[in-house]
Amino acid sequence: MSDAGAPQPGHPDGPDSAGMLRLGKRAFPPGQPLIMAIVNRTPDSFFQPGVTWSESAAFHRVDQAIAEGADIIDVGGIPAAPGSEVDVAEEIRRIAGFIAAIRSRYPDIVISADTWRHQAGRAACEAGADLLNDSWGGFDERLADVAAEFGAGLVCAHVGSQRPRTRPFRVAYPDVMADVLAQTLREANRALAAGVQPDRIVLDPAHDFGKNTWHSLEVTRRLDELTATGWPVLVSLSNKDFVGESLDLPPEHRLVGTLAATAVSAWHGARIFRVHQVRESRQVVDMVATIRGDRPPARTVRGLA
Amino acid sequence: MLTAAALCPAPPLLARELTGADPVVPELRQACREAADVLVQADSDVVVVVGAGERTRAFDAAAAHLDLTPYAPALGARPAGPETLPLPLGLGGRLLDEAGYHGRRELQAVGADEPAPACAALGASLARTAPRVALLVMADGSARRSRRAPGHLDERSAAFDAAVGRAIRDGDMPALLALDAGLAGDLMATGRPAWQVLAGAVNGGRATSVIRYDDDPFGVAYLVASLTVG
Repeated sequence: MSDAGAPQPGHPDGPDSAGMLRLGKRAFPPGQPLIMAIVNRTPDSFFQPGVTWSESAAFHRVDQAIAEGADIIDVGGIPAAPGSEVDVAEEIRRIAGFIAAIRSRYPDIVISADTWRHQAGRAACEAGADLLNDSWGGFDERLADVAAEFGAGLVCAHVGSQRPRTRPFRVAYPDVMADVLAQTLREANRALAAGVQPDRIVLDPAHDFGKNTWHSLEVTRRLDELTATGWPVLVSLSNKDFVGESLDLPPEHRLVGTLAATAVSAWHGARIFRVHQVRESRQVVDMVATIRGDRPPARTVRGLA
Repeated sequence: MLTAAALCPAPPLLARELTGADPVVPELRQACREAADVLVQADSDVVVVVGAGERTRAFDAAAAHLDLTPYAPALGARPAGPETLPLPLGLGGRLLDEAGYHGRRELQAVGADEPAPACAALGASLARTAPRVALLVMADGSARRSRRAPGHLDERSAAFDAAVGRAIRDGDMPALLALDAGLAGDLMATGRPAWQVLAGAVNGGRATSVIRYDDDPFGVAYLVASLTVG
């Protein structure tokens, strides 16, 4: 169920009526899937921990991701999972300078900051970030104010009642998809009220966040209900536990399962895909966009000569 | 009488929207555009488009239309209208549209199995429909010119297409009329009846030609030429 007051397509305070999504200086029409490459400035994230902890490795990763077709670089300084405390000052130290360096090297690439804290969001926007990717469902209400102040975008995620950096413990929903719709639309409404531009608001059902695997599978299966709101939808599926538990595979062997979930989400109309493996994901979303008819095939000759 | 003719192939990929993001054959389309431009500037009373169809019959240019959705359903709704043109006539009509031609237009399908004498007679009658008749002949050579060709390789295709090319280049209409319909069928050379209509339309006149394109990028022989008949 969506909130009675939730913004709907066509409403002046709802999603852009033409479906345009604006991030930084760029404008993206519906039907153009975007790859958001994960660059973790952490020593302890779950997938390939520490691989981009050093600045040179992180830069190499940015260069490679852009070369492989990434549209957005998502820089995070705190793992989602519980672990050693990263305070605000340390989070800013990890991401702000790096974002500024990416911005100077790539003036037009869209940069996203993966943070829930408004102080870190502010530092990221000052450094040149275009999007605040809040995976924790508006836990820090002032983050939306920062997005509004800087004209940045905001990701509105569903986490149920989880607090940042906690794992789901026996979570249950009468209807998880209804909860996803209600919470993300409520957050979108709040972002609008805070002054975030309507064409810069993105919804994220947040697979694995506040969800067991059954929940994440249900959300994947019914993602069209979220895209039907008209708001651009981001999915973050990459190598997550719901893939691992579905296939009984550890993180390093979850690419194929991730790509299958990516294809289904793309088919349902998701527009941003937050990923570790850019090249493979780019191919999948481009192929699905081509099947949907949103993107022309690159070159067709077979049977036409 | 026939005063000018243009010869173009009629593969689906001549339609730009069928080849995806890549234009694939921009030089072929350019050659066809030039041939159509020259043809419509020939100051004729009528342009007759001729191409292969299921059977020999004329189409109403005002009512029948080109429909590419059988080739690419993603192109969307079929155009409204009572009748769909055979692809060669539809593509030929589009070439005239793109050349800015608004004059009198006839669309003539010639049956794939029409024997040479009937093709020649049809050409002769088309040439008599007005004092100055221009012909746009949409015709393809063999589709069996290489191992990657749609019809795989048939060694006879090289000599066959070379003979057609020579006949067009030299204005040798009897050579076109002498083409073996059985061999043309074996070689998947769908242009045979339309070439023979051209030969009948020239009808003893002297044809001189400019070859604009002669290649087989996908194993099908494409020939683009402009002919003047005097």
